Amino acid sequence: CQSREHCDKAGVSGLIYQGTSTNDCCSCSPWRIVDDCGGAFTMGAIGGGIFQAVKGFRNAPAGMSHRMKGSMTAIKTRAPQLGGSFAVWGGLFSMIDCGLVKVRGKEDPWNSITSGAMTGAILAARNGPVAMVGSAAMGGILLALIEGAGILLTRFASSQFPTGPQFAEEPAPAPMPTPSFGDYRQYQ
Amino acid sequence: MMPVAVGPYGQTQPSCFDRVKMGFMMGFAVGMAAGAMFGTFSCLRIGMRGRELMGGVGKTMMQSGGTFGTFMAIGMGIRC
Repeated sequence: CQSREHCDKAGVSGLIYQGTSTNDCCSCSPWRIVDDCGGAFTMGAIGGGIFQAVKGFRNAPAGMSHRMKGSMTAIKTRAPQLGGSFAVWGGLFSMIDCGLVKVRGKEDPWNSITSGAMTGAILAARNGPVAMVGSAAMGGILLALIEGAGILLTRFASSQFPTGPQFAEEPAPAPMPTPSFGDYRQYQ
Repeated sequence: MMPVAVGPYGQTQPSCFDRVKMGFMMGFAVGMAAGAMFGTFSCLRIGMRGRELMGGVGKTMMQSGGTFGTFMAIGMGIRC
C-alpha cells in the first residue's frame, strides 16, 4: 500500500472527502463505490432541489401560492432525476476508478481522468460514436481540471497548514476527541 | 466543543463551514475554467465574435462557476 499523503489526492473522492474518507483508499473496497453512488445521489438531489426551486418559482404564474406550488412541483419532478443521473455518473466513475487502481496497481491523477473519460463515453454509448467522443473529451477535461485543482489545493494547504509543532507534544489523540457525525468512514 | 478537531494526521482540520467554503471556492474555480473552455466553443459555434463573444464567454463562465461551486459546496457539506 502506498503512503497516505499520496492517497489524499486521489480523484474526485479525494477532492470531495479531502482527508476524511481516504484513510484507506488504498484498499479501495467495493463499499467506496456504493458510498460514491449514494453521495452523488444526495449531492444531485440537494443541488437539483435548490436550482429547481428557483426555476419553478420564476416560471410559475403570478401569485405567491402559485409560485410556491410551481416550485414544489419542479423540485418533486426534477430533483430526483438529477440525483439519479449524478448517481449513475458517480457510481460508474468510482467503479472504473477502482478497477483502474486494481489493474494498474498505482493511484495517480490519470486514473480519475481516464475513468472520467470512459464514464462519459459509456453513458453516451447509445448516441453513437461521435457523441461518445465528445462526451469522453468533456468528462476527461472536467476531471483533469478537478484533479489539477485538487493538486494545487493540496500543495497550498500543505504549505499553509504545516504539520504543526504545536501538536507535537500532545499525546496521540484518543479514538476521536470530538466524535462528529462524519467519522463513520474511519471504520470501514 | 472546539471548532478545530485534531485529525488523524496530527494536524488541524478545518471546521465544517471552512470546508464548505473551500469546496465552493474550488468548485467555482473549476467551473470558471470549464466554462471558459466550453463557453468559448459554444459561443463561437452560434456565431458570436468580438465584444459579444467576450460577454457570452463571461456569462457562461459565471454560470458554470456558480453551478459547480454550489454542487461542490453541497458535496463537502454532506460529508462532514
